[in-house]
Amino acid sequence: MPPTLFLDHIIPLLQHMLVFLGLAYLFTRTRVFTALVNNRLTWPDKLVIYVVFSGFCILGTFLSEQSFQSADAIANTRAIGAVLGGLLGGPVVGLLVGATGGVHRVLSMSSASDPIHYIDIACAVATTADGLLAGCVHWMQSRRGRMESLFSQRLVWPVVLVVEGLHIVIVIVAGWLAGEGAAIVRLEMEIGPPMLLANALGVALIIYMISEQKRSRDELSGINHAWAIAQQCAGLLRGELDQGTSLRIAQIIQRETRVAAVAITDLNRLVAFTGEGEEHHLPGTVVSSKATLDAIQNNRVVFVDGVRSRYQCHIDSDCALGSVLIIPLRDEANNTVLGTIKLYEVKQKLFRNINRRLGEDIAQLLSASLLAGRYQLQQRLRLRDQYQLLVAQVNPHFLYNALTTIGHITTQQPQRARALLQHLSNFFRKSLETSADRVRLGDELDHLNAYLEIEKARFEARLDVVIAIPDHLLDYRIPVFTLQPIVENAIKHGVAELINGGRVSVGCTEDEYSFTLCVEDNAGLYTAKQSDGMGLRIDERIKTLFGEKFGIRICCEPGQWTRVSIRLPKEERSDDDPDDDCR
Amino acid sequence: MIQTMIVDDEPHALDDLAAKIAKNNSFEIIARCGNAFEAIREINKLTPDVVFLDIKMPKISGIEMLSMLEKDNMPRIVFVTAYGEYAIEAFRENAIDFLLKPVDQARLEITLSRLKQNHQAQPQVRNTLATELKFIPCYRGSHYFLINLKEVVHLYSSPATGVHLVTADDEHEFHTNLGLKIFDDNSSLLRCHRQHMVNPDYIKLIERLDNGLGQIHLTGGCIVPVSRNYMSNFPALS
Repeated sequence: MPPTLFLDHIIPLLQHMLVFLGLAYLFTRTRVFTALVNNRLTWPDKLVIYVVFSGFCILGTFLSEQSFQSADAIANTRAIGAVLGGLLGGPVVGLLVGATGGVHRVLSMSSASDPIHYIDIACAVATTADGLLAGCVHWMQSRRGRMESLFSQRLVWPVVLVVEGLHIVIVIVAGWLAGEGAAIVRLEMEIGPPMLLANALGVALIIYMISEQKRSRDELSGINHAWAIAQQCAGLLRGELDQGTSLRIAQIIQRETRVAAVAITDLNRLVAFTGEGEEHHLPGTVVSSKATLDAIQNNRVVFVDGVRSRYQCHIDSDCALGSVLIIPLRDEANNTVLGTIKLYEVKQKLFRNINRRLGEDIAQLLSASLLAGRYQLQQRLRLRDQYQLLVAQVNPHFLYNALTTIGHITTQQPQRARALLQHLSNFFRKSLETSADRVRLGDELDHLNAYLEIEKARFEARLDVVIAIPDHLLDYRIPVFTLQPIVENAIKHGVAELINGGRVSVGCTEDEYSFTLCVEDNAGLYTAKQSDGMGLRIDERIKTLFGEKFGIRICCEPGQWTRVSIRLPKEERSDDDPDDDCR
Repeated sequence: MIQTMIVDDEPHALDDLAAKIAKNNSFEIIARCGNAFEAIREINKLTPDVVFLDIKMPKISGIEMLSMLEKDNMPRIVFVTAYGEYAIEAFRENAIDFLLKPVDQARLEITLSRLKQNHQAQPQVRNTLATELKFIPCYRGSHYFLINLKEVVHLYSSPATGVHLVTADDEHEFHTNLGLKIFDDNSSLLRCHRQHMVNPDYIKLIERLDNGLGQIHLTGGCIVPVSRNYMSNFPALS
């Protein structure tokens, strides 16, 4: 083929292609475009695709007629519309676009004077086949869950080349059947290569443009969503994943990402769930799916796309959810996992890439907020402790009782009154001296003894106290304001309520890493209802300081005994740095 | 001499008040009690003229204790307490006076002279809105118990051993220092005999006997006589 002939064809074809590029660009700026490339296509979307790309086909034929003024088969860019229609809209849309383009081809080239030629039919069939084939590629990729690859150049080029090759083969076969094999082969030798090149280039460029547009849109909307979520979640997190907060956060995320459902779990249980299937994914359900446990144990993002790996709801086999993205919520400081956030999509729907990225951003954001919240919580607890300490130092009831008792015995036993005043002053001096968060157990026991001397004077024979703590434990440190208030409670709500009085014993057990202080009374009058929450507060504080393994446990045998166990770690001896703030 | 009793669960408070009252020659301290259980027993036994009564005590508060005393030997009451928060309630109970701990000698003298002045007057009769008894102070051996009235099936008094109390879920009996009269006035128990009271919630069957009297079968199998004087309490018999 002489090069001039090739140029004669390729240049007009490239010009046509540029027209399509321009039109396609305008199309990507319209609102319908967003719907086309993002989600599973609805029938209205498909209709739009059909109309737009059928238009491309018709325009392709029309422009060729204008350029070449030839009676028979002419070089054209009709295939661009058909292939794009198929690739974007699927087999049905592709078939219809191709058929429409084909029918138009037949009608436009024939007239009363010029009856339908075999080549008109061949071109129509070939164009229809173009659309159908491209549609089949769309269908295959969608079934394999690789919709994203439809926009990749590596897929587009082979598809267009194969489709166009087939186009040429169909026309040649048709010509051969009509007995004009030689002529048609010559014709295709002339117009085939430029058409192949122009159509492939056109499809590739338009797909490239669409994918670029899509990406920038996704990124923009990703930033917008992340920003919207961050704004709405701000202030919701208080360092704890409680049920109410978690549910609100899950709802915000679901609203912004428009995934089918969102769940938040802690390490063991589902904390909140919103969206599709919320009637059977109930908060409190134990986390059991392998994928979630994998995410928690290995501290990594797990994506079950529903295609290559299947997601099946454990609770209800009819559950509509088909894919899930599980992102661990991390405590960056300790590199531990606090829980997970899960984004679900229903079975027939594709998990959008944008949501995968967004999900990870959200998890990071939540992790950071949780951490900040924890820090704040610790600060708050600390402030509250300091306040409580102040209150304890000047506990008016205790002071009142102490002074009244001393007042009562001043006349009869002046010596003893003086001794009690000494104890009282010791008690307050020790309270004042305690500036750190933790004290030596030995010092706390001195403090306790000063307190007990006064209480014993008040109750006399009605109060018996036994303290048995091994000497080698005295150097361990315990949080201030831990032991004395519990003993005080054992007296106030226990022994003081016994007609004949009773006994409070303070003991200790230990293992390699921890020791447990036990305060036991023989009243057994503890009821959770009447507790003033002090035990709970101390427990909360110990857990914040040392972790969930430690804290307070209360057992009660009604009418027999109440035992409060305080478990603490053997972590540091006080001899190295007595003024250390220890947090 | 005015017969005086002091009730307080803190021994030093008791001693201190006793010492201060003893300075006044018109008052004689005849008993000191550390709790309401003992106090009820001693009041019933000794019928003092005046009781200095602590309010905050284990199991039964001073105010609760008043509803467990019989109106006939109701002493004059002076509440003694640590906190002022009970004052209003205390005066509703017709207390003569209300002292705050630690008791000031001069303030105490005012109280004592007030007591002395109306000592000759008619003993006060409490016109309280009959506080319903909910818990009954009981003892068995040296142990004290508070028994919910709802659990009481049957009460009976014996001249030798006092008032006995039979509960629904306990095979044993308890003793109480409360007289049957208190239950007549302040509880839903029904008197069926001079020495017997029953809880209507536990009556299984009321039976008329040939001699015109009746008897009551209680859940738990106990059978209690109904005497002529109290038949009107049981419409089934009258």
